[in-house]
Amino acid sequence: MTQAIQVIIFGATLGGVYALMASGLTLVFGVMRIVNIAHAILMILAAYIAFYAFQLYNLDPILSVFITIPVMFLVGIIIYKLFFSLISAEDRKGELTVLLTFSLAIIVEGVLGAQFGNTYRSANPGYASEAILVGSFIIPKGQLYATILSVLLIGLLWLFLKYSRIGYAIRATMQNQSAAQVVGVNVERMSMIAFGIGIALAGASGSMMSFLFTFYPGKHWEFIAILLSLIVLGGMGSLGGAVIGAFLLAILSALVGSYIGFTWSPITFFLALFIILLFRPQGLLGKKEDI
Amino acid sequence: MSILVVDDISAGYGSGPDILKGLSLEVEEGKTYCIIGPNGAGKSTLLKAICGLLHPRQGSVTYKGEDIGKKRTDEILMKGISYVPQDRSLFPDMTVKENLRMGGYTMRDRKELENRIDEVLEMFPILGERSSQSSKTLSGGEQQMLAIGRTLVLNPTIIMLDEPSLGLAPKVAQYIFDTIDQLKDSGMTILLVEQNARKGLECSDWGCVLDLGINRFEGPADTILQDPRIQELYLGSQKRKSVEEVE
Repeated sequence: MTQAIQVIIFGATLGGVYALMASGLTLVFGVMRIVNIAHAILMILAAYIAFYAFQLYNLDPILSVFITIPVMFLVGIIIYKLFFSLISAEDRKGELTVLLTFSLAIIVEGVLGAQFGNTYRSANPGYASEAILVGSFIIPKGQLYATILSVLLIGLLWLFLKYSRIGYAIRATMQNQSAAQVVGVNVERMSMIAFGIGIALAGASGSMMSFLFTFYPGKHWEFIAILLSLIVLGGMGSLGGAVIGAFLLAILSALVGSYIGFTWSPITFFLALFIILLFRPQGLLGKKEDI
Repeated sequence: MSILVVDDISAGYGSGPDILKGLSLEVEEGKTYCIIGPNGAGKSTLLKAICGLLHPRQGSVTYKGEDIGKKRTDEILMKGISYVPQDRSLFPDMTVKENLRMGGYTMRDRKELENRIDEVLEMFPILGERSSQSSKTLSGGEQQMLAIGRTLVLNPTIIMLDEPSLGLAPKVAQYIFDTIDQLKDSGMTILLVEQNARKGLECSDWGCVLDLGINRFEGPADTILQDPRIQELYLGSQKRKSVEEVE
């Protein structure tokens, strides 16, 4: 039992970070109805920013969110303006955006590979290798701090969506795009802002990733696969669903790793994906019309 | 004096064919217009072209002397033209009050917005009782009231209603028509697309018959109601022919 609780603690302290990673992806899907395949490579880009800020200027990776969030927001806006606004009027926008983000992922991966090589990187602030002892349980400090910050950022996102004027407009666009237009929401502008916020969240996730995981450009394929499992489990476009899905699967994956073997741990995500698609394709908190 | 002039417009969706093919219509302030016609005649397309959801490929839409044909929906809303779509288009996970708040999205004065919402809730007491309920839990009639109420938050000069009685029980539909009468009495200009053509014409001043994307004929609503061609085509139960055949 003690071992199980310990494993759950490990899983839960990673769950918050997965939730942050997935929240940006699900927000973009909710508003624009596109699956951004480039989400994880943009997380890696932010991880490089955080990594080099730590290596060169000794900037704490957690504090690097103050750089990665605005920088990646801007990157998101530029990507939107350069690519998405050009195809927004196309009839086959859905298919085109998947291909577009797929190509974008390959291009950014190539550029990062050319610039930084395929060496494994990881920032190593002191707390990344320290732990807090609570009774007989070990709580890794790095994971704990990252999850606390992630949950805080998700909370701020929720408050923004719930109470700000732009948040109302984004939620309205997520729920019914044509109704949003009818009440005067500039859907194109809201899509751009939501995309920027989604990529800013990828930026914050990258900061966390820089010291929680070892990373290299090609690592994004593994992450995007995991993130897609999380948001499908939670319900595509549902922020609450993404958070629940992230915590559930992070804990389940840790339990599988501990009791069955670490080789099987990543498979948990994809097995969950198959099961949810078979039995509840709309996900835990999703709606049938979202699929 | 016409407040809204639709002049020879053609419009369609995406790269598809024209649905409206040189349609013209003049709307006078304070009058109620009922637009009838068979499926595919372009009734809903006309309303969308007026409110900026669709931009005319040719021709012009002029409101109070200003060409609004290329303006965005939010700009047209702020000028005083509101639209209630056929599917009601509510925000299902938002409460009744949040939906009404979204109706005033283009309003900058928050206090004025809350006052307007209170006025709308007074007009539709049932919505007041359900103000913290999510809109997806409302009945069809209540959803239609909310869709109309949401539009009224902006206190528009022109309100365009697309099939407001669609799918409603007769008693509920009657309540909606009573509401339209109320709006009419308040001096609002109304453009009404209604599948229940007789009922729609009865509460209107003017009737327009659209067919194949053009305004085939128009006139005072009571004259149209008595017109044997219209009776045969839209108000009676005889086998339907095209307008041209009847002419």
